[in-house]
Amino acid sequence: MNTEPQAGMPPDIHELAGEYVLGTLTAEQRRAVELRLATEADLQAAVLAWGERLLPLASLAEPVVPSPRLWKRIARSIDALAVPARRVIQPKPWWRDWRSLGLWRGLTAGGFATAVILAAVLVERTMDPPPATRFMVVLVAPDDKAPGWVVQASASRQIELIPLGVMEVPADKALQFWTKAEGWSGPVSLGLVTPGQSMKVPVDKLPAVKPNQLFELTLEPRTGSPTGKPTGPIRYIGRAVQVIM
Amino acid sequence: MRASGNMTAPRRRPIFVLSALNEFDYEATLAACAAGEHAAMQGLYEREGARLLGVVQRIVRDRALAEDIVHDACVNIWTRAASFDPTRGSARGWIYSVTRNLALNAMRDGSREVGVDEDTAAALDARASVDAWHDMADAFAWQASAGRIEHCLQQLEPVRRNCILHAYVDGFSHGEIARQLDAPLGTVKAWIKRSLAALRECMA
Repeated sequence: MNTEPQAGMPPDIHELAGEYVLGTLTAEQRRAVELRLATEADLQAAVLAWGERLLPLASLAEPVVPSPRLWKRIARSIDALAVPARRVIQPKPWWRDWRSLGLWRGLTAGGFATAVILAAVLVERTMDPPPATRFMVVLVAPDDKAPGWVVQASASRQIELIPLGVMEVPADKALQFWTKAEGWSGPVSLGLVTPGQSMKVPVDKLPAVKPNQLFELTLEPRTGSPTGKPTGPIRYIGRAVQVIM
Repeated sequence: MRASGNMTAPRRRPIFVLSALNEFDYEATLAACAAGEHAAMQGLYEREGARLLGVVQRIVRDRALAEDIVHDACVNIWTRAASFDPTRGSARGWIYSVTRNLALNAMRDGSREVGVDEDTAAALDARASVDAWHDMADAFAWQASAGRIEHCLQQLEPVRRNCILHAYVDGFSHGEIARQLDAPLGTVKAWIKRSLAALRECMA
């Protein structure tokens, strides 16, 4: 590794922080820094200082006028958070918050991307130490937008699917979990899902989750889709939103 | 997608957080976001949206992904505004950190990263001489960047300056910089380390 210190010298946090802010660290190195940032005040200070030092260089990138859609999308996402979520969270178990009506009210109107943020903020606020969750997805029913599942994609290259309730599945059918990122030729199966039970899926063989990546649960024959692609109706669907820290 | 009927005039809300000096007050804007004022977020977006998208697009080099990331950044800024601590850094710096980190994470986690393995790096190192880089031209009009860093960048040799700028502005990894400059990986890593140390010293 190139960051090893000289013999007898402590690792230079200014160098590490500089490369973190500059962007030259690998994914693993970035994650290691982010974990340390949660607890190490001197590393935090070093990262902040580098952020300030290098900020003028951001002006070297030519501005790009966003499409009109972008603000509408952002507005929709924050509209569903009439008050920033962290202010309304009570210190009680996160799973109870997830199921509280008040929390989910408004999400159905706001579309599903926004729900992700609520869930993410909840998780961020209530677990200790904070998990290295990188992406959150709330899967909602396509018709009434009722949230049914939450997906967390963590740095450990594992996707966790968590139910928000129990749902009915006909005896001869099963729910199958799929994902598709932009540019993939089709959805990839992440396996069959038991209603009401959470599931962890190792995804080392897939590329890392990307912003806006699609996740869905479809109703398939009891042994899963015979074709390897979704064949039945979509029961829950959502897109990944990246969350930091 | 266009709304029917009301396409006449662009809706324009006043930029509502202006300090006495008529400069945009980023800190007050974040405080207003933390208080749940949507107009604050809109004002921030109108002020910085195109610049943030420019920064992200340069790093991720994909328009749709760049807009996704700016969306996520704005939602993160909105939800985390209350956690911004003005005693520890500038509000604008915080906004750019949130945004750049999302973009860098997306790139480093993605498939673009093609590592130059250590053997290749050693081979490249063996045939290269640092002397060959003395005449390298600047790849960036970096003099446009304001403040202390301009003076300190000037003190770096052009090739080292280019390393720093390719990393920060283009979001290049070590390996990508090495390929861009046709320079040995180990040398690029050393240049960056030394350049960072020199910049920190110069800007102290």
